[in-house]
Amino acid sequence: MKYPRLLSCWVGILSTPFFALTGLAQEPLSNAQATLPTGGQVAAHINSRDEGEAVSRKLSIVMRDKRGKTRKRETMSYRKYYAGEKRTVIFYLAPKNIRDTAFLTYDYNTPEREDDQWLYLPALRKVRRISAADRGDYFLGTDMTYEDIKLETRVSTADFNFKTVGNCDVDGHPGLHIEGTPKTQAIARELGYSKSLSCVDRQIWMVRQSQFWDIKGALLKTVTIANIDQIQGIWTQQNINVENHKTGHSTSLSFAEVDYQSPVPDTMFTTNAIKRGL
Amino acid sequence: MVSALTCLFTPLLRAAELQSSLIASALWSGDSHNFKRQSHQFSLEPEAILRFDNRVKLTALMRLRSISFDGLAPQRVSDAAYSPLGKPLYMGNSSEFELREFYLELPSDNYYFTLGKQQVVWGKADGLKVLDIVNPQSYREFILEDFDDSRIPQWLANIETNVGEWDAQFLWIPEQSYHVLASEGGLYAPTSPLLLPQAPPVGVSVDVKAIDRPGRLLMDSDIGLRLSRFWKGWDLSLNYLYQYDNFALLYQDRSLTANGPHVTIQPQYRRTHVLGGSFSNAFDNWVLRGELAYFSDRYFLAEGLSDSDGITKGKEVSSVVGLDWTGLENTLISGQLFQSVALNRQSATVRDKSESTLSLLVNHTLLNDTLELRLIWLTNSNVGDGLMRLRVTYEWQDNLKTWASSDTFYGSEEGIFGQFDDNDRLIIGIELAFE
Repeated sequence: MKYPRLLSCWVGILSTPFFALTGLAQEPLSNAQATLPTGGQVAAHINSRDEGEAVSRKLSIVMRDKRGKTRKRETMSYRKYYAGEKRTVIFYLAPKNIRDTAFLTYDYNTPEREDDQWLYLPALRKVRRISAADRGDYFLGTDMTYEDIKLETRVSTADFNFKTVGNCDVDGHPGLHIEGTPKTQAIARELGYSKSLSCVDRQIWMVRQSQFWDIKGALLKTVTIANIDQIQGIWTQQNINVENHKTGHSTSLSFAEVDYQSPVPDTMFTTNAIKRGL
Repeated sequence: MVSALTCLFTPLLRAAELQSSLIASALWSGDSHNFKRQSHQFSLEPEAILRFDNRVKLTALMRLRSISFDGLAPQRVSDAAYSPLGKPLYMGNSSEFELREFYLELPSDNYYFTLGKQQVVWGKADGLKVLDIVNPQSYREFILEDFDDSRIPQWLANIETNVGEWDAQFLWIPEQSYHVLASEGGLYAPTSPLLLPQAPPVGVSVDVKAIDRPGRLLMDSDIGLRLSRFWKGWDLSLNYLYQYDNFALLYQDRSLTANGPHVTIQPQYRRTHVLGGSFSNAFDNWVLRGELAYFSDRYFLAEGLSDSDGITKGKEVSSVVGLDWTGLENTLISGQLFQSVALNRQSATVRDKSESTLSLLVNHTLLNDTLELRLIWLTNSNVGDGLMRLRVTYEWQDNLKTWASSDTFYGSEEGIFGQFDDNDRLIIGIELAFE
């Protein structure tokens, strides 16, 4: 009977609103840059970016500890937007010790409504309701939290205040550095972050690199997004690397077979579906 | 005929993808007090899943198990409780082979059929059962085995569909297997007076008849129906089951013969309607969940000689309320209160009218979920007995994990847990998976 913190990663990370100070090439804000879009505007751009109504994709996860030991996961995930919510489901396909585990989340647009989340644990053969307040917990042994996964490529303006702090560049892609600060101490504790710094590609409004600090102010992790390409007309990240500076553990995510056009049935986002598996 | 079938199925099989795996595990356990009584267990669990293009899926899961210690040997059970279709194949004195599951999943636009030998799990509770009673259970190791291993899969039809906002599940269970208990000489053979009639006084002879099993395919089938839905943040279900109570009732026939007093015991099964429901919801760091079940026809052990056949009929309401807290990182703390109330008893019973059991689970993971610490405590508040379980599991690789655990019983030997006070044990285990 194991109560894994599921998920993987991918998603969230990328998107996250977080930011970093070090590691990213950062330029001071000059007068000319004073007209840069505000952090709120950048966040709005990120969150209004076209992600398609629905998507299906394979996700490979490789986790490495500081001694170099690796663990691999193969998953299939689906995400779909509805009028007032976003639904995401992740099915673990391999290896055997985690196969058939599945995670389902309903992410509501209204901030006052808590998300609903469920986890199917094959060892128990039960779908367990899980608390959305666990969003700062790490998902199934990865270096991403439940919140990271849920956000996908978006940022949470309900939890963070964003401020543009300058220009940046990641691998030749010019961007804007935005700093995120949790709106309250309670949110910071819940998410496990006291600050974030992200370099946002201002041409496609995607985060290319982020850093996060823990609630004590120590650098916690760096998220790097690579191989961003257009798939079916939508900018899509294909690789994400998350490095935890405190533990030396890292998680690499690789997306494949990304499909924004094939219909994803509503029945995929049900507790029955995560119980049956793929 | 054969060639016609071959022609028919060949295209189907060509479109199939086979996924296979094997889990090998070994356990070493010993008596906590002196380590004199030791057991070695080895098991292989091959699984094959055949997936067809049209989402049809065929699953087969088998288990080969060998146990060195006679008190835990696979055949040290009341195997008459198995139906002929569900009975494991015993090999020698210490091994068994069992087809654990074999079922076909057939999805269609409006229905989802799961046909074959399978497990069906209802309810939200951990550790003890209220609604998770569709399949019977093996008590060869009391409740120490994982439910996934101790649940007895049955041949049944499981049909799911949507009815408006509700998900409906209909079960037809023609196979009649029942709870399997450790038999005399088994390490976990029940002795509590709450479970068994007490031995008669010296001079009274006893004759135990063969178990009277229901045998009619249709008329003795179990039927189940579950309606479930998600409503305003709540996971809700309504459950109905018309089943044979999975515990055999030990009816007594007392007589006076030429050789003196005599008792004939006739084990039988009796039907009951079960009506219940479950719920769960999350609030901040808390998850509230619960189950309720009403049994229309329950049969209890009668107190003394107050009942002529030793069995008293009544009704029962059983419930569990659980609260999970996840306020600490990577930690789950869960408490549950189980209650059972016997109603309308026709005479005095051995059990109390109301019985309560409390459970506590603390689960903590470290090192990116590779190290898991777990504590489970169960205690019956009527008798004051209980069970404490500790376990440490480490995952060395994706396919290799080891664990060490202890199971400690305490309390009066008349209690459900205390009856096994002499059976405390330490376990070391290893599990290896192949794909």
